[in-house]
Amino acid sequence: MLVEHPDEETGLAIASGLRFAGYAVAICPGPAGHGRCPLTGPAGCAPAHDADLVVSSLGTESEAAREVLRELRTHYPDTPLLVETPSDMDTGMGELFDGCHQLPAPASTEQIVAAVQSLSGHTAEEASAGA
Amino acid sequence: MRSPFHSEQEAFRFVLLLILAAIAVTLAAVLGPTWLAPVVLAVVLGAAAVRVAQLRMRKLRGLELPVKMAPAHVGSASERRVLVVANDTLGEEALLGEIMRLASVADTHVLLLAPALIPPGARLTGAVDGLLDQARIRLEAALDRVGHRLTVAGGISEADPLEAIEDAFATFVPDEVVVSTRWERAANGLEPRLAGLVRERFAVPVRHLVFEPGSAAREPDKDTEARYRLEFGKAAARRFGLKALTGTGVLAAVLMSMVALVQSSERGEARAASQAAAEQIAGSPSVAKVVALKVIPEYKRGPEGEKHDAFTTTEFTVKVGRPQKLTIDNTDDVPHSITAPEAGVNIVVTPGTHTYTLLVKRAGTFLWFCTFRCDEWAMQHPGYMSGYITAS
Repeated sequence: MLVEHPDEETGLAIASGLRFAGYAVAICPGPAGHGRCPLTGPAGCAPAHDADLVVSSLGTESEAAREVLRELRTHYPDTPLLVETPSDMDTGMGELFDGCHQLPAPASTEQIVAAVQSLSGHTAEEASAGA
Repeated sequence: MRSPFHSEQEAFRFVLLLILAAIAVTLAAVLGPTWLAPVVLAVVLGAAAVRVAQLRMRKLRGLELPVKMAPAHVGSASERRVLVVANDTLGEEALLGEIMRLASVADTHVLLLAPALIPPGARLTGAVDGLLDQARIRLEAALDRVGHRLTVAGGISEADPLEAIEDAFATFVPDEVVVSTRWERAANGLEPRLAGLVRERFAVPVRHLVFEPGSAAREPDKDTEARYRLEFGKAAARRFGLKALTGTGVLAAVLMSMVALVQSSERGEARAASQAAAEQIAGSPSVAKVVALKVIPEYKRGPEGEKHDAFTTTEFTVKVGRPQKLTIDNTDDVPHSITAPEAGVNIVVTPGTHTYTLLVKRAGTFLWFCTFRCDEWAMQHPGYMSGYITAS
């Protein structure tokens, strides 16, 4: 499970909730934490590559955060993406979230864990149905 | 350093590069001159060393991708696992009190990890037992004082503290980490920046407890943690830089020796080949072999049936201008000679064994004979005390 959250403490709290729900977790602060996100480079992002599901709480204010969402969709189209979306989001950005599972921001850790459980159960059912 | 097999993608890239490097070296060895393979190998090794050094420096300076990881929680939802990392502060009352407090909380398990902090020198020489014993004694004493043996376990590690903590994440799977250090690094003590390094890597809460002898635990503020990170990171990077420089020097020396060896071997082979070719052209070895012979009275029977004095070898083949050594054992008690006026040769062969030089300066076949009065018939008959010298 990859959690992208710009705030360290909140990210840790979400990670803790997910860990206690039985998921191994990686937390990334996104472009804000490192300057240049490897997703936008040729090598891609190893934690995103290994993740079964990505939780993005990076917001949509900055172009860098929006670029991360686009790259995630482009590079890992089969990995479910749960995005915290602001309520006052520009309607023109709807296209950005095509194929993403949305959760109104700000979401609590419990809400995120519940959404992840629901999504991972859903994808598990899909996988077993497809098999 | 990050493992090249950390993810499928990275492992694939690493194996691909390895195969390409092997192909380059093999092609150089098969198709190129002998010196090319070591040079290509040196370039490949150099590039790998530079990349490793780059990654290591980035890690030491804290520039690695800021992704924190943690495995899933193990045990029931109410269970908490706390990893306490300490070494030189294990005897501090305040730390032991903190561990007792943690252990007294229901459903909490504590692992007290004591990295043995083995210096590289001791690691190289294998003299680690004493250091491990010291860490074990310190840990046992701390565990005895803490009590709570059912919920507090202990472990020592000879690995680097950060690696030991990584191992603990794989085996103990903590939900929280407590790192205990001094304000400044003491000899054989944990570095104060360790807490920051753990915080950067693992997606669990990390507490840094700092102790001075006899004092209560204090948690450094963010600025202090940043200072630790900067100061100790720079020092570690500097140490690594020196080691890398030394390693590069050694590697360069080894590779230069290899190239020199290959070149010298090539030169030797070329010399041997040209020498062999010259000898083939000349038809004989460059250094003439010494010819051994004797002068023996009444040695050889003549056609009339009587025995005559004789040289055991009477035909000599030499190269023009090239000295030919002759070791002649004159068993007679008077001198004899090999005299060929046309060839300019006059060797007086005295009794006993001596070495002489036969040198002919022009080509041709020349009659030689003994000029000392001995067996007159033999002196006039080639094959006895007379013979031929052929110079070419």
